[in-house]
Amino acid sequence: MVYRVFLLLVFLAIAIGGGAASVWFALDNAPLTGRFTSGPWQAFPLLGTPQADPYSRARYARSGGLPLGPSEGIVLTAREDSNGDPLRRTCTYVISGQLPPARLWTLHLTDADGGFLPDHGRKRAALHSRMVVYGEGNSLTVHVSRQPQPGNWLPSEGNGRMQVVLTLFDTSVAVTSDQFSDLRLPTITRADCYA
Amino acid sequence: MLRFVHTCILGLIAAGVVHLAIVFMLPDHTVRDAWSRISNAADYYQTIQLDARPDSPLRIDNPYFAGAACRFSLEDGLLHVRSEGKIPFWTLAIFDNRSQNTFSLSDRVAEDHSLDTILLTPIQMQRLKNDPSADLGQSLFVETDVVEGFVLVRAFIPDETWEPQVRAFLNSIRCEAVETQ
Repeated sequence: MVYRVFLLLVFLAIAIGGGAASVWFALDNAPLTGRFTSGPWQAFPLLGTPQADPYSRARYARSGGLPLGPSEGIVLTAREDSNGDPLRRTCTYVISGQLPPARLWTLHLTDADGGFLPDHGRKRAALHSRMVVYGEGNSLTVHVSRQPQPGNWLPSEGNGRMQVVLTLFDTSVAVTSDQFSDLRLPTITRADCYA
Repeated sequence: MLRFVHTCILGLIAAGVVHLAIVFMLPDHTVRDAWSRISNAADYYQTIQLDARPDSPLRIDNPYFAGAACRFSLEDGLLHVRSEGKIPFWTLAIFDNRSQNTFSLSDRVAEDHSLDTILLTPIQMQRLKNDPSADLGQSLFVETDVVEGFVLVRAFIPDETWEPQVRAFLNSIRCEAVETQ
């Protein structure tokens, strides 16, 4: 009798404990599915839509996020430079190249968790398409640095990792696997690093 | 011993079932998703203002955007969403009560770039078309299968000088249930 109760407890511990622990592990540690990459840029176009897989859906539901729909725009995030090294706030970077057609785009810096980087005085760590200076042939050059830079400048205050987030609003870019890897996006080149 | 191993194997199989059950049930039962947060912050048809500040019930994660949202249930009738004024750029998204973005549009498709949208189910649309007395007006009609959810309007703030105008646009957003026969 005692042995039976013991077996039942073992069964319940494995079933409930194991089931819950494996969900927790899967949602917190497994890489997000449905990712499209192009150079250093990543996009998760299905995140927060009914087309997402059950794991992405469960994870997204817990985040309280408000994903952009396909007619609103698309978010591209870079955690690494074009060489594959993590983006650090102690380094300076040059983002340069052409941007895909969009009615409006914004470019901003965040910390590793997605929080905005602090302003540098009155200068925000963000730019948008109607305020930047364009180069020849509508090309774009943006300097990411702690120190003020001439031209388009994103201040990267603080220490630690950062992400560059490019959001294209009202764009014809539809993210599908073939199209996205062929998309011409700016490169992110590291210039130099402080200490 | 054999019974113990047997129990462990059964336990693992049950753990798989529990795992799948949790993954599929989580979106409906979480209290951290956008629908739960907006439900705590405001009643149906009440417009709430959103931005990236910590006290915002939901975070708009773009530094140049602010937003406004309201909950609806098409069981109460059609949903009429409108605002006053013109701003440089806005988008509208319809989220279901599982916080999924199911339909979106930008101001490009709206008449005169102004926000005047009617949200309705295909059945309500059919009824409206068959009703000769219905005044369809200038509104943009959007058919949706989402019966309960929320509407989110995101608005672009190019710089501080635009802030009052864009905030006024978002503050003027009205969500109303329009009863039909």
